[in-house]
Amino acid sequence: MENSPTTSSNERIALRINGEWREFEIGKDLQPWMTLSAFLREKLGYTGLKVSCDEGACGACTVIMDGKAVLSCMILAVEANGREITTIEGLPKDDPVILAFAEQSEPGHGTALQCGYCTPGFVMTTRALLNENPNPSMDEIREALSGNLCRCGCYDAIAMAVTHAAEKIVAKGGLS
Amino acid sequence: MTIPYKPRVKRKFIGGYQPRIDGLEKAQGKPLYADDIINERNYPGLLYAKVLRCPYPRARILSMDTSKAEALKGVKAIVTYKDPNLKAMKPTNAGWTDAVDTVSYDGMMWGKFRDRNILGDYGTWAGDEVGVAIAAESEQIAEAALKLVEVEWEVLPYVMDPISAMKPGAPIIHPHIAPENVLPFDPVGGPDCFLSKGDTDQGFAQADVVVDMDTIHDNPTQGSLDPWCCMVQWEGEQLTVFSNSYATDQTRMHMSQMLDLPLHNIRVVSQYVGGQFGRADTGDQPFFIFTALLAKKAGRPVKFKHTRRDSFHDTRQPALYHCKVGAKKDGTITTLHFSSIGDIGAHADHSVFALKFAPAEISEVALAHIPNQKMESWAVYTNRIPGCMMRGVGNSQFNFIFGRMIDGLAEKLGMDPVDLAIKNFGHEWGSRPDPSLKAVLEIGAERIGWKEKRHKPGAGELIDGIKRRGVGFSLHPAWHAEWQEVRRGQVQVRITLLPDGTVTLDAPTVETGTGSNTCNVLGCAEALSFLGIEQKDITWVSTVDTDNGLRDCVQTDSAVSFLQSEVLVLAAKELKEKLINLAAEKLEVKSDLVDIVDGMIKAPGKSISVKDLLMKGDLVPLSVMVSRKPDSSRTGVPYIASFADVEVDTSTGKVEVLKLVIINDCGTVMYASGAEAQQIGGQVMAMGEALTEELIYDPIRGVPLNFNFVDYKMPTILDMPKVEPVLLEIWKGAGEYGACGIGEGTLTCSPRAIANAVYNAIGARVDEIPITPEKVLQALGRI
Repeated sequence: MENSPTTSSNERIALRINGEWREFEIGKDLQPWMTLSAFLREKLGYTGLKVSCDEGACGACTVIMDGKAVLSCMILAVEANGREITTIEGLPKDDPVILAFAEQSEPGHGTALQCGYCTPGFVMTTRALLNENPNPSMDEIREALSGNLCRCGCYDAIAMAVTHAAEKIVAKGGLS
Repeated sequence: MTIPYKPRVKRKFIGGYQPRIDGLEKAQGKPLYADDIINERNYPGLLYAKVLRCPYPRARILSMDTSKAEALKGVKAIVTYKDPNLKAMKPTNAGWTDAVDTVSYDGMMWGKFRDRNILGDYGTWAGDEVGVAIAAESEQIAEAALKLVEVEWEVLPYVMDPISAMKPGAPIIHPHIAPENVLPFDPVGGPDCFLSKGDTDQGFAQADVVVDMDTIHDNPTQGSLDPWCCMVQWEGEQLTVFSNSYATDQTRMHMSQMLDLPLHNIRVVSQYVGGQFGRADTGDQPFFIFTALLAKKAGRPVKFKHTRRDSFHDTRQPALYHCKVGAKKDGTITTLHFSSIGDIGAHADHSVFALKFAPAEISEVALAHIPNQKMESWAVYTNRIPGCMMRGVGNSQFNFIFGRMIDGLAEKLGMDPVDLAIKNFGHEWGSRPDPSLKAVLEIGAERIGWKEKRHKPGAGELIDGIKRRGVGFSLHPAWHAEWQEVRRGQVQVRITLLPDGTVTLDAPTVETGTGSNTCNVLGCAEALSFLGIEQKDITWVSTVDTDNGLRDCVQTDSAVSFLQSEVLVLAAKELKEKLINLAAEKLEVKSDLVDIVDGMIKAPGKSISVKDLLMKGDLVPLSVMVSRKPDSSRTGVPYIASFADVEVDTSTGKVEVLKLVIINDCGTVMYASGAEAQQIGGQVMAMGEALTEELIYDPIRGVPLNFNFVDYKMPTILDMPKVEPVLLEIWKGAGEYGACGIGEGTLTCSPRAIANAVYNAIGARVDEIPITPEKVLQALGRI
């Protein structure tokens, strides 16, 4: 329960969010039971990530923590103490992954997004994949994105966008 | 193989392959959905509401004590079924309209089936909103307070399937509406036998071949990722609603009629919605009303949001179909008899639309040449989740038997089902063979490899000693030509030409992902080509606000992609006329001597750019608003088809779809990348519906077991086969573009195409979807 005496504490945590270290007081800025997704969205205003299933089944809340794509609805905010978090707001506006998702439209595949609700999750999963594996095969792409649901069904175009993002990164001379 | 579609008329903007207008902002995570906006930063003092959900399949509240909840710190308002204003509230349903049109309380489509009360004392499915709603300082406090409400329930007998519900002695769920659980006659759906043409008894007696069959379409759910969410705020008598309803006018009408408030006192705002899929929030849900009552009582803004569990609130209505078909030896179908029993769940909603209207509509088009026809249906209440519309209304269920009929009859006659379909189906106003039908089937057959891959059922090559392959298809008439949209009423758009020559486009429709916003901008650029403008010069207004004054053209029937563009053609003409008059005045020439080409105003001996003319004027934007009712010219409809290539593992029963070819005759392709996205994307629902998605109930307790994304299996990227989209422009409707909506129809035929392909593969029928491994093994006699 919010403000309940059992959870009040002067403990502080520090998170590096989108490049900036920030400190928060447990009990005041956040509660110990709060998920990272709720903390980022509701307390800090990073609404790019979405909470759709709230139990790790859809991938809409994906953010990057210490270089890995993670489901922020499955992590407590306090567990992120000392970690580096990147949300979609932290990506540069011309990030190759963002541009590839935005531009995807070639014949035979459709667009990489429709309603856009799942898109930030897919973008972040892709960003983490390409950080680790800049030239993934189609099988590796499909495997990496298999935890993200897109009910509009843009999977084929999403996979194409990932390959185009990889090409853009190569064209720019490597990882951004 | 990627073959881009070939446009009938080459246009500068309409029809192209290009990114969506909102592609970049969505890829950046920038659009704000309701849940992103409704927070304490934007609405200081925001409270959070929770509602009690009936824990039993059927139960009545005998008594309730909310005193402990009231005493909980942070609880700010409680409303219950005992409150006089709730007791006095009119009974409602949660589907006043399918949102094609805006309706009043008296004009709601299913006025005979008002089977919901706002926070009533009677729950008819495990999940029904009943009894009490609480607003508190946080969701957690509201949730905790609900648990402190003491309820004495009278747990009542219940029934979980329509056949049992029709039997004498079954519990009667809504006795005042359906004394035997079967919905009675209503003016929209008609009687049980809603269609009768010719003489079916005589037709069957005279037929050379008669075939009978049954199919069961079980219930998948829409699965939108964006949960329903609203915020209601009172400022005196002024009510503001922000939500992810995609029907703002209907939301306003609903609140006005239920709360007895004048329309001008209500402002409804919506913008991006994370998926529609046939049952997004049409704004006539009971939660808008109890949220408003809580907000009034607390004197603070209140948010109500569904959890993922709550988001399992609707399904594609399950239907059991029987078909008997009679034909001559040469393949001419003479007689058809369809009967269906629909499991409408606990609330009627638009069930009758699915069970009666949609098949009757097909009888008028595809089946128009068949002399003897009879259609009957019974819509039956059960204590399950309500079911009605889901990316189509009744079409998928009908297609599942229709495509079965074509395949089964062709087999009996020894014909190719493609030939059988082309021979028999067309539409009321045309001759056979129908060019659109012929094209979709012949191109589909070619792309899937129909002639090479098809074999006698179960007689194909055995692969790896256990696997068998097969091909199948199904077809359907499309149902979103302009003449079918007349009920929508006026479609309104406003174009505002700003002094620097750029344009603001008000084509109000809540963006749900369909791509109609891109179609609108392309249509606007096309219509304004005399200004020499580019797409980037046009801003599409993404927020739909009832205070804007324009009618909200709701994203339903897959038709907004062309309806607004047709109106934009007229609006552009009017704008050009205004501009010519302005130029004539400025240049001091007669207006009939002025023309505008590529942004230049030309008169004899004089020329000025549109931009210069405006920037040197009074800098008042030039605005035109045009209303137009959809053209009612009966132009028939185009056809759609799906072809499937599958591999079945006969040892495990698993069906692997190798390839789907989806063919849509669109009339005119408004935006090719968006249309292909719909075609490919629709197959995620189709694949789920055909193979993996089903709502599972505990038969003993009557409660759902898998209302979550872990256990309800929606396809992921790994589950999807190669999908080949084919766009055609064969048929043409009325108007400049004469297009037809395709979004719903992209998935209508696919489950049946897959089921027929499974039969072709293994030689045994599985006519109940989803086609799970268990059902395949049962069909093979293995279990």
